[in-house]
Amino acid sequence: MKKLLMGAALSALMCASAAAETVGVSMALFDDNFLTVLRNGIQEQADGMDNVDVQIEDAQNDVARQLDQINNFIASGVDAIIVNPVDTSATEAMSNAASTAGVPLVYVNRQPINVDSLPDDQAFVASNEIESGTLAAFEGCKLLRAAGKAGGAKIYVLMGELSNQAAVQRTKDFHDVIGMDMCSFIEIIDEQTANWSRDEAQDLMTNWLSSGNEFDAVFSNNDEMAIGAIQAMKAGNVSMEDVIVTGVDATQDALVAMQAGDLDVTVFQDAHGQGGGALDAALKLARGEEVDQKVYIPFQLVTPANVGDFLAKN
Amino acid sequence: MSDTTHGVGGLTFDASKRVWPNELNVFGALVLIIIVFEMLGALLMGQSFLFDSQGRFGSIFNEQRLYIIVLQVSIVGIIAIGVTQVIITGGIDLSSGSIVGATAMIAMSFAQVAEVNGQPNPKAIFLEQGWVDLPVIVPVLVGLACGVTAGLVNGLLIAYTRIPPFIATLGMMVTARGIAKWWSKGQPISFPTQEFATIGNGFGGWMPVFIFVGLAILFQLILKYTVYGKHTYAIGSNEDAARMSGINVYRHKVLVYAIAGMLAALAALVLSSKNLTAQAGMGVMYELDAIAMAVIGGVSLAGGRGSIVGTVIGALIFGVIISGFTFLRLDAYYQEMVKGAIIVGAVVLDQWRQRYRALHA
Repeated sequence: MKKLLMGAALSALMCASAAAETVGVSMALFDDNFLTVLRNGIQEQADGMDNVDVQIEDAQNDVARQLDQINNFIASGVDAIIVNPVDTSATEAMSNAASTAGVPLVYVNRQPINVDSLPDDQAFVASNEIESGTLAAFEGCKLLRAAGKAGGAKIYVLMGELSNQAAVQRTKDFHDVIGMDMCSFIEIIDEQTANWSRDEAQDLMTNWLSSGNEFDAVFSNNDEMAIGAIQAMKAGNVSMEDVIVTGVDATQDALVAMQAGDLDVTVFQDAHGQGGGALDAALKLARGEEVDQKVYIPFQLVTPANVGDFLAKN
Repeated sequence: MSDTTHGVGGLTFDASKRVWPNELNVFGALVLIIIVFEMLGALLMGQSFLFDSQGRFGSIFNEQRLYIIVLQVSIVGIIAIGVTQVIITGGIDLSSGSIVGATAMIAMSFAQVAEVNGQPNPKAIFLEQGWVDLPVIVPVLVGLACGVTAGLVNGLLIAYTRIPPFIATLGMMVTARGIAKWWSKGQPISFPTQEFATIGNGFGGWMPVFIFVGLAILFQLILKYTVYGKHTYAIGSNEDAARMSGINVYRHKVLVYAIAGMLAALAALVLSSKNLTAQAGMGVMYELDAIAMAVIGGVSLAGGRGSIVGTVIGALIFGVIISGFTFLRLDAYYQEMVKGAIIVGAVVLDQWRQRYRALHA
């Protein structure tokens, strides 16, 4: 009788655990705007599903704390783990810990250093950084063509911090777009860094204006610098209707600048979609289903035509 | 030159051995750098650096370039005015950049509008409390109070716990940056009122320049002609002697650091107003740029020597270099390397010149 009861209890437990899947999530940082949207994406996706529980922890930007959290998840028997790495070069140990314990693991948003050698039950979900710069520059190129500048257009390029991967990538993407036949009419007058900063971009743009060169567009690695350039051009009495300005990020300030007719192009990185996508991938791996090891959530182009759709997003 | 122009006591200040004021040397360096850029501009770019070679302005000068040269150093320049006084007392202030960050965040959150494009301001911090569309005096006073408070803490720590200024202000640098990040949990604060925007954009964008130059003249006069100024130089030249001659050294130091904090806060108000946003990362490295401006301008890190005029010329050297690099379209990767070399080079030259003077006087 006793055995029967215990067996019943055990099987009930097992049923329960089979029905409710638990996913442990270790976020690099809770108090970051973008990562908070991503975290909410995971939570809301889980809330909309039956029998999926997520346990979200804050690694507080501490690599050691994050690894501890992963080991704790493994010890408490979660079905899968999602990691938003604090340090993308410290992911080898995390992959090893999860793989040894046979727990599927999904990296989200930040590309782990071992992305090309991940075990079979691990994956990476993010947006493909190459897309953002390419989308922005290509749209800028199309706008220049539409403005009748296809015979030759001159632009300035604002770069982010030179040591930053996103800045290097986006600048390279600008160059690649300009290297295409369709956009080869574009000539870069000068490209300089403004360290992602609105203030530095303002000063840099004013310096460029003081040289008096004619230009048709400003391509910026991010929105803050694009806004700085806009402020400088307005102060220098440049008509914003004649200049194409592109940014990346779709920040609130940028969307407002776009509504005001100053910013022409920006690119939205779908943090919410990345969170949901990461949870989907983690659950599929936990159920033994096939998942691409690199899942890319597309960037979205934001222009005055669709700016309204993005106002409440990031 | 009168005997006590640059402080009391010390061999350096023997006016009879002075051939011309130190500031003239720094000014000479400024002119030299401009000439180099003019020559390179004529050779490489086919246009003049400072003069209106394309006839765009109907004036002798390229007015836009003159404007940006001063404008881009005005905000750090305001900080440098305070830092100069701190260095003259023999101290150092590493906290000014972080005070800029914290003050910008706090002040801006009291300067926000209620509505942007007909929508509630998405970045408003105190929307629920109804603290939006406040008169401009509120953020200004809040901001200045933040700066003075931080400066007072610096000064009190240095004067009464006797810890070195380097450590006290290093602590404030870390703490104030923490406050800047904590205030809105890292979120930028944007969309200020029109009146607040005037602080950094008024007079067709010349407002920061006017504030910088006005403060520079004010503090140059204060340092030269008031008891406050004489005490500042006295403490930097020889602190013990100053104490024995009856100067309340501690109280004076607290005052100097409080003024430096207030000027950093003022810089924050101008900066956030000019950019129409406040961000936790604002002002990073400004303290070092401000110190470099002072040192290039002939302010001695040993204390007791230097002037606001020198610092202003040091700031202009910075401005000319930044604009010159952009003018020549120097590759971004080389700019910082060259800038660092120029900072060190300027001070080495100054040292050689002084040693030569001392030997051949």
